[in-house]
Amino acid sequence: MEQLIFFITAAVVAATPLLFGTLGEILTEKSGNLNLGVEGMMFMGAAVGLSASFLYEQAVGAGASGFLSAVLAVVFGFLAGVLGGLIYSVLTVTLRANQVVSGLALTIMGVGMGNFIGELLGLRAGGFASVSDVTRSAFSGARIPGLSGMPVIGRLLFSFDFMVYMVIAAAVLMIWFLNKSRMGLHLRAVGEDPATADADGINVTRYKYLATCIGGGICGLGGVYISMVRSSGTWIHNCVGGLGWISVALVICAAWSPARAILGALLFGGLSVLRFYLPIQDVPAQVYNIIPFLATVLILIFTSVRQSKERHQPASCGVNYFREER
Amino acid sequence: MKKAITLLLALAMIFALAACDANAPGSAAEVTRENLKVGMVHISELGDQGFTFNHDQGARKMIADLGLSMDQYIPKFNVSPADITATKAAIVELIDAGCQIIFATSFGYNVAMTESAREFPNIIFCHATGFDAHSAGLSNLHNYFAKIHQARYLAGIAAGLKTENNRLGYVAAHPFSEVISGYTAFYLGALSVNPDVTMDVIYINSWGDARLEREAAEALIARGVDVLSQHSDGIAPALAAQDAGIWHVGYNNDMSTVAPDASLLSPRIDWGVYMTFAVQSLLDGNPLPVDWGTGIETGAAFLSPLNTAVAAPGTQEAIDKAFQEILDGKMIFSGALVDNDGNPAQITNFAGDVIFTFTDENSYFVESDVYSAPSFNAILKGINIIS
Repeated sequence: MEQLIFFITAAVVAATPLLFGTLGEILTEKSGNLNLGVEGMMFMGAAVGLSASFLYEQAVGAGASGFLSAVLAVVFGFLAGVLGGLIYSVLTVTLRANQVVSGLALTIMGVGMGNFIGELLGLRAGGFASVSDVTRSAFSGARIPGLSGMPVIGRLLFSFDFMVYMVIAAAVLMIWFLNKSRMGLHLRAVGEDPATADADGINVTRYKYLATCIGGGICGLGGVYISMVRSSGTWIHNCVGGLGWISVALVICAAWSPARAILGALLFGGLSVLRFYLPIQDVPAQVYNIIPFLATVLILIFTSVRQSKERHQPASCGVNYFREER
Repeated sequence: MKKAITLLLALAMIFALAACDANAPGSAAEVTRENLKVGMVHISELGDQGFTFNHDQGARKMIADLGLSMDQYIPKFNVSPADITATKAAIVELIDAGCQIIFATSFGYNVAMTESAREFPNIIFCHATGFDAHSAGLSNLHNYFAKIHQARYLAGIAAGLKTENNRLGYVAAHPFSEVISGYTAFYLGALSVNPDVTMDVIYINSWGDARLEREAAEALIARGVDVLSQHSDGIAPALAAQDAGIWHVGYNNDMSTVAPDASLLSPRIDWGVYMTFAVQSLLDGNPLPVDWGTGIETGAAFLSPLNTAVAAPGTQEAIDKAFQEILDGKMIFSGALVDNDGNPAQITNFAGDVIFTFTDENSYFVESDVYSAPSFNAILKGINIIS
């Protein structure tokens, strides 16, 4: 029982960066942009978010506020992701470059840039770039009086760092946005058939830009989570380590639905830590590593057999929109 | 006509290539202090602040010790051991750049190193952590390692004295002898000062992965361990220990700067000891041993300074005492060691045959005797493999 609670909390923590990446990519793909740069944007968010905190602490010195430092990390990490999304949008929406190639290039650039910035900070700090305890505690688990102390429930619901609640709020907001708001429906129209949306008077370019940039920002927050929470505000070489790619797989697994993304991220995150908490004798680690991707393949087969209209990739995804070719 | 010219050109190219090979750099010219070039194949890059950083430090120390200049050291970073072609290409580039001696840092370079050594008999190849030189029969292929198990044993003493609930945890890389030898030595060190201690081990199946190291460390903490150690390249376990308010013994690098309240000390390898020895031997024209492995007596294995603000009182004295005992010939893997079923512990070779059994109090196994790479691979009583 005790191990089960530990397992569930570890699964939630492992799922959080994945969910950020997945939500960001869902928003991006809903506009018809297949941005494979999630890994790169996460790296940029991780390094820039950490840099913001680190440089703020250096500038202020002993009187640094943990709250402000955390806000700076989140804002700048988000902005770094927005920058990644912006580069991608300029390339694909304005210059109409190939989407897949642009996304891969963004990943390569982002990984290099993230490690470069992180390690440059490390050199400046003479070893490791690490934030101080005030910032670390701002990113540590919540201590809500009266709630966090409750047995079981307190630990399962009220013991997490603030970014876990942030990602859940983002998911709920996106469910509402994509299904209930006019702008969300417009965005989906752009992703399904930009020509029709254009004829209807929807500004296709603006929707694509906004969705891709904000989506990139959300991916960047996943990076902030990795560097500030999972690495305790210290730059670790290659800290994102492929989570961005798993997020891209999760978008497919979640069938482009933010609600399913929550479940998918929990599944992927849970399976990544399952063997540490509930080991089964004689089942090799590799089997645990395969299951999430096996699930993705099965879901792909299942949805394509059912031909469901709801659970498909937005129809124009991967194809740039040329108004003159209508 | 065109075909004939093409054929001629092709033939000319082949001869040109063959001619290149005959005049391959380093084949005839004598190695001098001036024309010496040292090549090195690294698995990662300096930013890892761990394994590769440590190796690079060794090379820099060798350069300084021998009074060479930095442009005589040619490193190749991020060479994937999984890609034999890329590894061999890196080695050829180093040879083309004039290197007469090439060091490779990771276990996985074994095939590329052996094949290159066969191909370039005039170049000296030194492969850390490998074990192929023993059987390859090539005079220019050498393996080296440090007896890190000695330093891990000493670090285990610090852990054994510090633990309050007698439960240690260990984030381990891969389930094979190099790692098993390391954590067993750590455990035996703790056991030597604390007979009630037990240890939980989780394998992450990677030499270094920030996410897995963190997750495995947290799982061990959730199981209730209060001193954590690691055989993985990164600092993530140290950070997890710091955040959880428990203690930590590192590896590769002094981790007390990132985990000041958790880090007790780190067993480390000074690769510079071997590199200086090997390059000096090359300059002097002396042959290198096929396998080289020394420990705390040469400083090839050593401990980072003890974090006295955190360590239990008397730790330094206990470590110093054991240090002297090892210098005096004490074997780490000795005595009537038993496995989890209570049977005498057995060491097996790669084929799975038993090569040693700890039958009684007087048994001892000389680690790093056959190969410089560790061979001890018995799982002892008190060590629980979680996953």
